[in-house]
Amino acid sequence: MTMTRLGEGARLVTTHRRGGEPVATYAYRGQLVTVPAPPAPAVPAALPLQGQDVFTLPYGPVRSGVFEAVQFVIETGGEDVSRLSTRLGFKHRGMEARLRGLDADRGAYVAERIAGIASVAYATAYAQAVERALGVEAPPRAQRWRVVYAELERIANHLDVLAKEAETAALAVATARFNIHKENVLRLQAAFTGSRFARGVIVPGGVRADGRVDLDALLRVLDAFDGDLRHDRRMFLATGSQADRLVGTGVLPRELVERFGGVGPVARGSGISTDARHERPYGDYRRLGLEVITEEAGDAMARVLVRFGELSESVRILRQAIDHLRRRNGELRVALPDASGAAYGWAEAPQGEVVVWVELDGGTIADAHFATPDTRNWALFEHAFPSDVLTDFAFIEHSFGLTPAGADR
Amino acid sequence: MLEWVYRGLRRGRVTTGYPHRDEEPFLGFRGHVDVIGDGPVSESVCPTGAITVQAGDVALDRRRCIMCGECVARYPERFAFHSTYETAEGVVRERRRSVHVRHVDAGSDGAEEWEIQALTNPYYDVQRLGIFFTASPRHADILLVTGGVTEPMREPLLRTWAVMPAPKAVVAVGTDACSGGLSGLPGVGSVLDVDVHVPGSPPSPIAILHGILLAMKGLA
Repeated sequence: MTMTRLGEGARLVTTHRRGGEPVATYAYRGQLVTVPAPPAPAVPAALPLQGQDVFTLPYGPVRSGVFEAVQFVIETGGEDVSRLSTRLGFKHRGMEARLRGLDADRGAYVAERIAGIASVAYATAYAQAVERALGVEAPPRAQRWRVVYAELERIANHLDVLAKEAETAALAVATARFNIHKENVLRLQAAFTGSRFARGVIVPGGVRADGRVDLDALLRVLDAFDGDLRHDRRMFLATGSQADRLVGTGVLPRELVERFGGVGPVARGSGISTDARHERPYGDYRRLGLEVITEEAGDAMARVLVRFGELSESVRILRQAIDHLRRRNGELRVALPDASGAAYGWAEAPQGEVVVWVELDGGTIADAHFATPDTRNWALFEHAFPSDVLTDFAFIEHSFGLTPAGADR
Repeated sequence: MLEWVYRGLRRGRVTTGYPHRDEEPFLGFRGHVDVIGDGPVSESVCPTGAITVQAGDVALDRRRCIMCGECVARYPERFAFHSTYETAEGVVRERRRSVHVRHVDAGSDGAEEWEIQALTNPYYDVQRLGIFFTASPRHADILLVTGGVTEPMREPLLRTWAVMPAPKAVVAVGTDACSGGLSGLPGVGSVLDVDVHVPGSPPSPIAILHGILLAMKGLA
């Protein structure tokens, strides 16, 4: 579908090249609409920041702690962050180029390694793009398993954010508890799939195998987790030294997020109800109910609250999916024709929506493009320091929950 | 604040006895792939080219293996997962002094960082073994490198290594770091002499701990 004019509410998802021509894809009224890309606007060069005692602090790519390679250039007079810019690209691996020429099956291995902590979402988006390009659909049972793995992945990612926020506030027990929950979820994922990140399970056309543990075990873990989480959430929010660092920190006004096309918990924390599972439901999400959690404040606390809400929502979705899986057996995988075609696929990763464009030529990948939530939300990160100081940096960074691997690709 | 303390105490201990005691791996743990039995094998079964067949002899380069299990699924009589924990025997008892570890991401997919971070969670708690993560490479004894080496990370990696005081060791964490894996990047071996390879995509925390213990043995 091509259009020349789009109405209000169109959100730019990505620009890339198709057959050598630049195209722009917008999310518009529950659809993806592609138009020839408008010429890129000229961006004025940033003015140098000058003044007495102003200095530039390059932070990264080797940072204290175990973090991915990214550099933050902080211009500061000592405490206030006058300007912050992000230098990405330290870990550009050329993953999209790696995909070219691979079999559609093998491509999934590369797709799930673009952002390793969101393997399921990336593999699902990729698999659905291939399926749509070839005009097949994964069997219902496979779609259900994809939901189970995707929600477990979301839970692990959100717990990771909470653990890091607690660690930054030096709450030792809270950190330990969220890390214990996260480890339990990763082990559950391993018990199901043989991989703590559910790798190698999702393929175009379905999933490789049924989950290997019985669903009652999953239910038991979920029940225990649900109770624990409710208690931990109450205590986390009631701990003054934690809440104090999050409330009013890193505020992103709604208009700003809309202008930048922010996605995921970052957008939902600023009151924007955007979620690929709801906007353009895919796979089994078309049959599962979903409540999109939003918060209005736009600060780090809002983004944390969105994640708490989504943890409970994920548990609820998992219970529903288990119920579906119990009731019916069925096929897990359909064969792919050695045909040609091209299509978009998408999925809601824990960081936000990931959109994949795949072109297939006789069963092999001719071209691929990934529009990742990390790329889109990183543009907002630089604007999240309107009145914040250097010591807020880690709280704001973790509240975004982004991975440089996804942005660099 | 006191309530957190009670809550922590009530949970009890979850920490593994590894490496002092043998332990059952968690369900679904894939240690590594072993070549077993005999019969014909096609090299193309492996997506990363880890399997080579020469005159009927099958060899598997573990540094290239991403443990996807395609070979095990297709040739169950030739390949099997070896899913037990191995220990670097006696290292901890022999070595009285602690080690400090510095990590550099040279181009990983992000999952290896999670698994290294997991080492400090209550399940693995490596501080109990005298293993600490340090911010400054000048205090570090062991360098953990994740990911194949991208061009922009080559220099930061070399500079980190250069300022570390001897004796020091390099541990390549993950298949990407060991051989480039699916990323197509050169492995860490192209830049530094690697002392310990920890394959896996990503390797489990226990595998990384095993790698650090082996590196400690080399330092002693």
